[in-house]
Amino acid sequence: MGSVKVSQLTKEFSGVLALKNVSLDIKEGEFFALLGPSGCGKTTTMRCIAGFEQPTSGIIQLGETEVNHIPPNRRNCGMVFQSYALFPHMNVFDNVAYSLNIKQLNASNLVAKLPVYLRLLNRKLGNYPKYIEQKVMEILEYVELDQYAMRLTSELSGGQQQRVALARSLLMEPAVLLMDEPLSNLDQKLRHSMRNTIRRIQQDLGITTIFVTHDQEEAMSMADRVAVMDSGEVKQIGTPIELYSRPSTPFIANFVGTSNVLKGSVIGQENGFSIIKGKGFILKSTNHADQTEVNLIVRPENIKAFKPGTINEDKLTNIIDGTVLVSTYLGSIVRYDIKVDEYQLVVDTTFVPGEAILTEGEKVQLSIDPERVLII
Amino acid sequence: MKNWLSSFNGLSVVKILIYVFFGVFLLLPLISVFLVSFTSEPINLLGSIADPNILSSTIEKFKNVSFANYEKIFTNLTYLSAVKNSLGLAILVSLIVIVMCIPIAYGIARTKMPFKKTIAALCTIPLIVPTFISAYAIIIMFGRAGWVTYIYQSLGGEGMLLDPYSMAGIVLVQVFFFFPYALWPMVAAFKVSDISLEEASLNLGAKNWFTFIFVTFPLAIPGLISSALLIFTVSFSDFGTPIILAPKDLNLLVVEAYREIAGFFNWGGAAILTVIMVLVAAFFFWLQHLFTKGKNYGSVSGKPKQQKLNDTKWLTRTLSGYSLILVIVPLLAMLSIVLQSVATTWGSNPLPNGYTFAHYQTIFTSSLGNIQNSIILALGALVLSVVIATFVSYFVVRQNSSRLDFMTSIPLVVPGIAFGIALIQTFNTAPLHLTGTALLLIVAYTIRRLPYMVRSTMGTMRAIKQDIEEAAINLGATPLTAAITIIGPLMLPGIAAGSILVFITVIKETSISILLAPADWAPMSLAIFQNILRGEYYTAAAMSVVLVVIVLILQAVGNRISKNQL
Repeated sequence: MGSVKVSQLTKEFSGVLALKNVSLDIKEGEFFALLGPSGCGKTTTMRCIAGFEQPTSGIIQLGETEVNHIPPNRRNCGMVFQSYALFPHMNVFDNVAYSLNIKQLNASNLVAKLPVYLRLLNRKLGNYPKYIEQKVMEILEYVELDQYAMRLTSELSGGQQQRVALARSLLMEPAVLLMDEPLSNLDQKLRHSMRNTIRRIQQDLGITTIFVTHDQEEAMSMADRVAVMDSGEVKQIGTPIELYSRPSTPFIANFVGTSNVLKGSVIGQENGFSIIKGKGFILKSTNHADQTEVNLIVRPENIKAFKPGTINEDKLTNIIDGTVLVSTYLGSIVRYDIKVDEYQLVVDTTFVPGEAILTEGEKVQLSIDPERVLII
Repeated sequence: MKNWLSSFNGLSVVKILIYVFFGVFLLLPLISVFLVSFTSEPINLLGSIADPNILSSTIEKFKNVSFANYEKIFTNLTYLSAVKNSLGLAILVSLIVIVMCIPIAYGIARTKMPFKKTIAALCTIPLIVPTFISAYAIIIMFGRAGWVTYIYQSLGGEGMLLDPYSMAGIVLVQVFFFFPYALWPMVAAFKVSDISLEEASLNLGAKNWFTFIFVTFPLAIPGLISSALLIFTVSFSDFGTPIILAPKDLNLLVVEAYREIAGFFNWGGAAILTVIMVLVAAFFFWLQHLFTKGKNYGSVSGKPKQQKLNDTKWLTRTLSGYSLILVIVPLLAMLSIVLQSVATTWGSNPLPNGYTFAHYQTIFTSSLGNIQNSIILALGALVLSVVIATFVSYFVVRQNSSRLDFMTSIPLVVPGIAFGIALIQTFNTAPLHLTGTALLLIVAYTIRRLPYMVRSTMGTMRAIKQDIEEAAINLGATPLTAAITIIGPLMLPGIAAGSILVFITVIKETSISILLAPADWAPMSLAIFQNILRGEYYTAAAMSVVLVVIVLILQAVGNRISKNQL
């Protein structure tokens, strides 16, 4: 148990394909993020795993078991909903204890079911067994909410509600934890600390976690591996570092961080470098491509900008001429928009106090390390 | 897998049962009555399916199909005048109500008139009282021995100020007891117009009256028209007032249809009148729907409106005085009933000759059965509505079953008397011989009041996010357990509010009770009706007071519940 395998998953909603052959192989204990813009199918994928959507075709396996036909209430996938979906008529304790009540309900005969139903309907109608009380308080302490056990969920802040939802899912000891944009309803500061909390709990418990988000920063900072999705397809799976340094398409290059994408054609090889020519530039790259028409990806921080003539050109390769369109001072860095032929390149340079910032309209020379010119 | 499938099947079975219920008790009667309007003889569609003999006789009847009944509408003077009178009455009532309510609605919506709360509270009285009781109250006031007549005569008037047994009497009752249905939509309509628009008009040089006529009023017109159409439907379908007050020479559709079925057992005549009633009511309901949907100037601007209330002294005082005089009429009517119920005798004097509780003693000894019947029947209808409405709203909200939504709103356009005739016609023979049973009565009440119940439960169901249900299932609950432990408790306030509404309206229900109730199941409304017909006015009054008190208590409980909900 613990691992999740999705093969060739396809889902059709009234003629529209929401998922096209999605395949994922998530290892036990892994923190896996599904990243993509809204409508890319990441939530649908998660709902298929949880069993709330039946895939049109494809296989979902939890551990070694195929679960396509197991109803959602027997899949043992804890899910944290985007809205938290806390039961509004129950207090924090009752919310968290819900899954244990259900377990007891399923294990007991008809007569023994009654007290469970009664206390589910109203707390005053029945007491919890000691072991449930203990377990619930334990997990509440773990998420630092033991003080709030008897509060109504509506009396809690967003971050606290989030932790109740998390505790409620964790208490059922799920094989997999599914989180649907869990941080999107929180403000900036809280989001930061919740990121750390979630990551810490995940590492502590070693629980396989699938995390849906549209925020690349969230995905990159928390996940072991990330699957980038777009229009129902998985575009690339990899560790955050792989995704950043070797994006497989211009879409990913732009979705994961900022990128400059240049179109060009390979015109030759020289000392192990590929030479690529495009409008306004000729660049060398350590990469190689089989085709001649290629896209070049260059991250803004890998471009250096100089005033013409200030640096000895012989020492540098890959010199391009441009004109500064906009310069924006961002504190530790200065971001320039630089026009090179038909392109508008983004260039980030470290701000050194005392050094002059290039001004709009100024001619500029750019230099790129051939190792940082990515051909895709 | 078994669990998921079985719960799915269980729900599908429930859905089919609901369709069957509506099919048998709503659509089948309406279709039958439509067919009878051509054949002039009872059509037993259910029997035709079950029994080949009945089938052959049904086919025989179809051979005699004719448009004779439809021709009669134009040739038979009774029918023609009934149609004309009913339409005339409804139009007259809706026009008077709108004109009468404009100052009150404006006063409530846009001014700081004094006694606003009192006026609003008094406006709820007419909604509590069944119309045949209000009609009877008007007799106590304006009749030959009424106290209004006494005052009128002592001021030098001749005869009666207004004969209650006339078109004018019917109009009077309907105007004063239906106006709250129009008042609140009209208040909303007057709130549409923004004070800033009026200030703009003033700023451009217009006078106050000019602004009202050319800015404020036109903006309220869609709301006014929609209110008028609503009153039209209510007045057109009303049975309680005409059956008490309509004189022999005044034909009205509801009364005529009732006479055809209860007096002459003329199936063809009753059927054609029923068809006309349903078509007219449906048409105006549709018109009203069109108006509330289409023209809503209110949604033009998205910014929150600030309402500045008019505080001109002479205006607010005039409006307040006018409103108080009007809303006090229903109160006086009810007080007259109360006085009558404790009077030894009450002749042509402003006050009763003496006071006694004997009439209450009488009804609590001899008519306790009617009170019991009312409560049992209402409870039966309540249970049935709760079950059906809960499932219907589940199917409509969660499964987008718009067909079911449409089906449950059909009863809104079928006047009670028409529905009663359709039911009697359909269920007075085997295989489903239900006419004269309490069961059919309960079913009829349920179907007639279901739209209100469904609206209430659907609202709560919409407020429960699907997430919450899914979270329960995700935590291991079966759909059924989730329904019992999560959805059920969350829906409870909506169900409670809806069922009180059902209970109240069933106790007030007149047309269905009078047409369908068997003697041993006579509810209070039927008992009061019969007492009035028999001339036992004092017991009728006492019973009316009991009925209104029951309704009042329930209404208070209902308000408490819906307040807690917020």
